[in-house]
Amino acid sequence: MLKTEELQINIGPQHPSTHGVFRMLVTVDGETVTDLKPVFGYLHRNHEQIAEVNTYLQNMPYTDRLDYFNAMANNQAYAMAVEKMVGIEVPERAEYLRVLMVELTRILNHAGALGFLINDMGAWQTQLAFGMREREKILDLFESVSGARLMCNYFRFGGVARDLPPDFMPRLKDLLVAMPAFVDEMERLLRENEILLQRSEGIGILPKDLALAYSVTGPVLRGSGVAYDIRRAEPYSIYDRLDFDIPVGSVGDVYDRILVRIEEMRQSRRIIEQVIAQLPDAQGGHINPKARQNVRPPVGDVYARVETPKGELGFYLVSDGSSKPYRYKVRAPSFINLTPLGDMCRGYKVADMVVILGSIDIVMGEVDR
Amino acid sequence: MTIEMQRGSVIVMDRRRGKLRAGQGLLQGLKVVWDHWAGSFRTNDNFSKIHGTFTVEYPDERLPMPQAYRNMPVLLFDDESGHELCTGCYQCQRICPPQVIHITQAKDPVTGKMVPAATEFIIEYDACMSCGFCAEVCPFDSIKMDHVYELSTADRVSLTMRKTQLNRPISYYTGIAPDLWAEAQAGAMKKLQGSIKRRPDVIGLAASLTEKIKARRLELAAAGQVAGGGGQEAGVAPAAPAAKLTPEEKAAKLAAMKAAKQAGGAPAPAEAPVELSPADAKAAKLAAIKAANAAKQAGAAPAEAPVELSPADAKAAKLAAIKAANAAKQAGAVPAPVEVPSTPLDAKAARLAAIKAANAAKQAAEQSNNE
Repeated sequence: MLKTEELQINIGPQHPSTHGVFRMLVTVDGETVTDLKPVFGYLHRNHEQIAEVNTYLQNMPYTDRLDYFNAMANNQAYAMAVEKMVGIEVPERAEYLRVLMVELTRILNHAGALGFLINDMGAWQTQLAFGMREREKILDLFESVSGARLMCNYFRFGGVARDLPPDFMPRLKDLLVAMPAFVDEMERLLRENEILLQRSEGIGILPKDLALAYSVTGPVLRGSGVAYDIRRAEPYSIYDRLDFDIPVGSVGDVYDRILVRIEEMRQSRRIIEQVIAQLPDAQGGHINPKARQNVRPPVGDVYARVETPKGELGFYLVSDGSSKPYRYKVRAPSFINLTPLGDMCRGYKVADMVVILGSIDIVMGEVDR
Repeated sequence: MTIEMQRGSVIVMDRRRGKLRAGQGLLQGLKVVWDHWAGSFRTNDNFSKIHGTFTVEYPDERLPMPQAYRNMPVLLFDDESGHELCTGCYQCQRICPPQVIHITQAKDPVTGKMVPAATEFIIEYDACMSCGFCAEVCPFDSIKMDHVYELSTADRVSLTMRKTQLNRPISYYTGIAPDLWAEAQAGAMKKLQGSIKRRPDVIGLAASLTEKIKARRLELAAAGQVAGGGGQEAGVAPAAPAAKLTPEEKAAKLAAMKAAKQAGGAPAPAEAPVELSPADAKAAKLAAIKAANAAKQAGAAPAEAPVELSPADAKAAKLAAIKAANAAKQAGAVPAPVEVPSTPLDAKAARLAAIKAANAAKQAAEQSNNE
């Protein structure tokens, strides 16, 4: 009989499947993971301290860099926090434009995230290329409206930076024609694929109570069967006027998270169609003309949160009455969704660990800040 | 299973929908991949299709950039007169989140007073985050975002852009973003409508706009004379404060003061132009002609005759001189010491220049060693 003992290995900080500089301190018994400790901090950029020396407006482009997949959603959360603190009203049209951009962001995030997840499973580049192609189309739209593909910096206090260019709507409508075909095709490719089922069914189960205990949000929480979506639980912006369903999983494994993300893309498309229908009747311009950009909020604190594609993104701001935030705290969904990784991986194989990490859908820029 | 709620429902995802036999799921997926392979021989020119190639052969062909695209900031100057729109108001320097813009305000070498122009304008491209706030905040539409994205260099120092490298004619910007420029012009006109009477001159605007403003000012003047009953004669009214001087009068006065100072005497007391002695008027004219000549020699001939000299022309002359100095520097001459009075910003610019010069010297030395 061979004598065996547990082995501690470091996976990361530089590892192709860790989605950035992220270290996992793994204790393995043969191929089985017996313990896992996520270690963060390799991408620390002093984001929150930099924000305290910047004015409120100057922080807007920095929020783009948090979760660089979803710059628009980050902008929305920050703009909402400052608007809440100062008391700036946002015109109706601006709210529609914001929701339009954020839902497009949700589609592109899930298209990319599923691609990377399949990449982690070993189907190198196939689904990623299809997902990236759709993502590129949305990024083209973002570029034409905000000027940049990723670091959009599109939101301002009281609205958005500029109105839609004339060629935006026809292109968006074309995109919406292609979107169901793309999602159906993705489902055909993935849903019943035997290899994917083998790699994802019953892997990385996060039970409902554990997910709640870890305050996990987003598709990971919904995959565990908790129907919690801030767009419904605490409707902000104009989400109370829009019809959409919340997909939830039943088991809480990697497969459920894939299914939830696929369905969320469909629901986002549904929201965009309603926005397009309601946008011409919306009152006001793209920005509140009375809103000052160099704000000086009254003394106090505020917390504003939105449902980004990754979960609940919240900004906690404390003002001392000056033009710079006294304290600026980000409640980043990727960071909190990553904390139960040890519990999710315990008992599975080393190869599964990579898949489980991919199914959480993290962006290290947001985890480490 | 679905749970109904207001405006939507909760759908529990069905984990096994199709009734496929073993292996059929794989084949189904393979069909998707096959379709894409077969489609890859066509080009896709439409957002509504998902098959076909979207890509272009990059170095040979490029996708057109949308007008709103922003990469790095550049400065604009007027095509005809070479007049730079930047007035050195520091708005962009203040709003810049990574603090990469460094402006040196131009100063009158004689009086030491601020002139609405920038002698040096440095943007560190290597640290710029392309947020576009500088272009948004600029009240004179002077700083705009460029569309050039091929900026890679072998060293960081050459990404510190000085004013000579940042300057672009307005026609360049109208070429890349005609709608945005039209919007900016309309906005500038609107902003000026209310303040035309107050503004002593039209610094920081394109020539096409200045003409419109001149016409509007004449209109306003005519209207004012009608309203005043024609009793007032221009310049004779005793209550007329110095702020109401026309640009020409102001320039003349300034030139007179300069001339007086150069002659060694004390600065002439501030007087209304009508009360100028004949000698002063002569000196003013002389100084104006001199300045115009200097401007001509520097290569940027003002479009207007010397008698119509305005502060903007003086600025142009000065700018031309600075440009010439820069050109001389670039041509390989020993870097001349910065002539403007030293301020902290100047010190910074000087240091940057010194570093650059040192680097250039190093490179030259290396080259000569190699040879």
